[in-house]
Amino acid sequence: MTDTEARPTYKYVGTRPIRHDGLDKVTGKARFAADLNMTGQLRAAITRSPHAHARIVSIDTSAAEAMPGVKAVVTGADFPEIDIADAIHDEAVNNIARDEVLYNGHAVAAVAATTLAQARAAAAAVKVEYEELPAILSIDEAIADGAPLANPTTRTLFTGDTEPSNFASIGQFERGDVEAGFAAADVIVEREFTTVPVHQGYIEPHACVADCGQDGKASIWASSQGHFAVRSKTAAILGWSTDRIKVTPAEIGGGFGGKTTIYLEPIAVRLSQKAGRPVKLAMTREEVLRATGPAPASKISLKIGATNDGELTTLAGTMYYSNGSTKGFSALTGAMSVASYKFPNLELHAIGTVDNTPKSAAYRAPSAPQAAFAVETLVDEIAQQLGMDPIELRLRNAVVEGDPTAMGMPHPKIGFIETLEAIKSSDHYNSPVPEGAGRGFATGFWFNIGEQSSATVNLNEDGTATVITGSPDIGGSRASMALMAAEELGLDVHRITPIVADTESVGFTDITEGSRATFATGMAVVNACRELIEKMKERAAVIRGVDVDQVAWIGGAAVIEGPASEGNEPLTIADITAQAKMTGGPLTATASLNAAGAGPSFAAHLADVKVDEETGQVTILRYTTAQDAGTAIHPAYVEGQMQGGSAQGIGWALNEEYIFDASGEMENASFLDYRMPVASDLPMIETIIVEVPNPSHPYGVRGVGETGIVPPIPTLANAIAAATGVRMTDLPMSPPNVLKKINEK
Amino acid sequence: MAIVHLQADHRRFTGGEEVLEVDGATIGAVIAELERRFPGLGPRLTEGASVAIDGELLPRGSIYEKVGPTTDIHFIAPITGG
Repeated sequence: MTDTEARPTYKYVGTRPIRHDGLDKVTGKARFAADLNMTGQLRAAITRSPHAHARIVSIDTSAAEAMPGVKAVVTGADFPEIDIADAIHDEAVNNIARDEVLYNGHAVAAVAATTLAQARAAAAAVKVEYEELPAILSIDEAIADGAPLANPTTRTLFTGDTEPSNFASIGQFERGDVEAGFAAADVIVEREFTTVPVHQGYIEPHACVADCGQDGKASIWASSQGHFAVRSKTAAILGWSTDRIKVTPAEIGGGFGGKTTIYLEPIAVRLSQKAGRPVKLAMTREEVLRATGPAPASKISLKIGATNDGELTTLAGTMYYSNGSTKGFSALTGAMSVASYKFPNLELHAIGTVDNTPKSAAYRAPSAPQAAFAVETLVDEIAQQLGMDPIELRLRNAVVEGDPTAMGMPHPKIGFIETLEAIKSSDHYNSPVPEGAGRGFATGFWFNIGEQSSATVNLNEDGTATVITGSPDIGGSRASMALMAAEELGLDVHRITPIVADTESVGFTDITEGSRATFATGMAVVNACRELIEKMKERAAVIRGVDVDQVAWIGGAAVIEGPASEGNEPLTIADITAQAKMTGGPLTATASLNAAGAGPSFAAHLADVKVDEETGQVTILRYTTAQDAGTAIHPAYVEGQMQGGSAQGIGWALNEEYIFDASGEMENASFLDYRMPVASDLPMIETIIVEVPNPSHPYGVRGVGETGIVPPIPTLANAIAAATGVRMTDLPMSPPNVLKKINEK
Repeated sequence: MAIVHLQADHRRFTGGEEVLEVDGATIGAVIAELERRFPGLGPRLTEGASVAIDGELLPRGSIYEKVGPTTDIHFIAPITGG
């Protein structure tokens, strides 16, 4: 279902063609990084720390080097020292430890050998002498008075501080008068919420193949959300110039933010350089869970005040987010994501911490789900105490264009009210709550970003087209690019081939993150198509012998207008490309931009759940999501993003958690023990696409990839409260945790 | 002069002032003027801030973006994504 603001009628935008990469995906022909094999290729394996925090006293690789099949061994000593003030420092150290290991699973050495078994055996034979150091394993331990340092190279971000600290960032957001606001409030609710690290859970483990030539240059095939970033980061970690590295994007089996960073490529390149052979390095699932970035743990104390007539007047609290083993600004982002309600009085303290767990990484709308858990739970509780409908309360306080976010910046044109209205008029909301079940409702917000993108559009001799971009396709963006090109050119979408090119074949493009690909890269495609249309009009003028200002582009053809139109039939793209050689040569256009004006997106979720009060098991009976997409270029993939975000949020809410033992070793580093939702755990997730176009995009696009993960946690917490009377404030809301709360009732 | 809005943790450099009128034809020039008036604030705004003008979020590092006499500028914590 789509709820659409009045906008132009499109021929291709808004349709649902089969994705161009679909057949390869379903037939197994698509090539992911671990599928690649090269002549003479070696396999590599990594030696990882068994300690959460320790000083590396010595590394002896001699036994490993002497083992059968071993061709190269590297340690941190094979990489240049990087100043701690350098932006790449933390990622470099996270790739391979230098003086200290900072979490259990931290890479210490790597081996390349003829076979994977040989590489693993040799990696296990690398002898590392450690001096164990105190390990910080939680936010509370990190902020305790006199706490030892989790990472001696960490400085508090954006403060200018030069002393090491367990505080990764400290921020504060204020407006109005919080004290007066609470004094005037009729209802005040206050709770503390905690969440634990959860993984993005992409189905494809990190993998790459690197081939370093005798000319000192390297080619890398990698699974990532941004191959230009793989190039620049790998170059920086190796101390190379970027022109020595070419990165070809492999198909990607999910990223969700977790593949915006790199873990393997510099190691694979160095091994290849030492061995003189191509090297494949792929993580196991256990390595993915132990050594790549989860979403941060959080601890949030929040207090909200409201008047009896339902005005949310005041919000105050402190948000702690763990960044894992290095600095980061996850807490600042979490506080800034408090952006859905007007709150004339607001005071939020955002504090990021450092500990000895894996370095956290982005995960769909990073930090917003944890903040929404707190805000939306308390807003629901206020509605309950006031006896108000939870959607009416939110409608009463929802931000509109010009209202401030937590950081003061006014919202641009947004569709929050429309999203709330859409779910209010949904069949789900207007159906009775099933007997014995509870209904929960919550909303979510995400900023979205623009940034740099490039696109080239080539017209082929027969009038077909190739759309070339630099944005790895993590959510169906190739289909979106083709649809926007089809709309611009007036060319059937299946006569367009969208591809993602390597770093030497298309202009620089930033990482696919912040739900930016269809927005920013889409604009580059649109601009390139518009330039091509001008060129085709010029060619048509040459062919017809008229001035170019007599040529219009209508319905995918050059139409001669005015007196010269008589007897001059429109020229199609194929007519024009057939004569390209005679009229000036190949028809191609390239556009690059640095996009501003990304449109924020809101979502509203509704769930009916049943709770087994004997086991604590939560069963979702029905789940509906409404989300503002601006304009849905390919509605099926917008719905897919909404459903995917919901499913991941449901897993985060109900089951997923990193379980560490007392020494900091992850105890559930497999999908058997790390419980992600599977299809049988979920009902069909019903979707309502809301379309309030973003005026900064030619088709009104807003990013849709992230917002969907924000509401599920509070939606389910509120549903559980409705079903049981128990307010869940700690994640996951797994059977034992729910049962414990029920028993405490 | 552009109207600059500072978030709370930047206000320690301005004696608590949240909204300031600042000369400058570009974002970079505005930051330079803020650093001249409030030493130490400039690096905080260039290192780790995203910028919005008139409610529109700019790409990171947009120091050459032109600002007008009535432009509203918000310096906010960095925004990325997943």
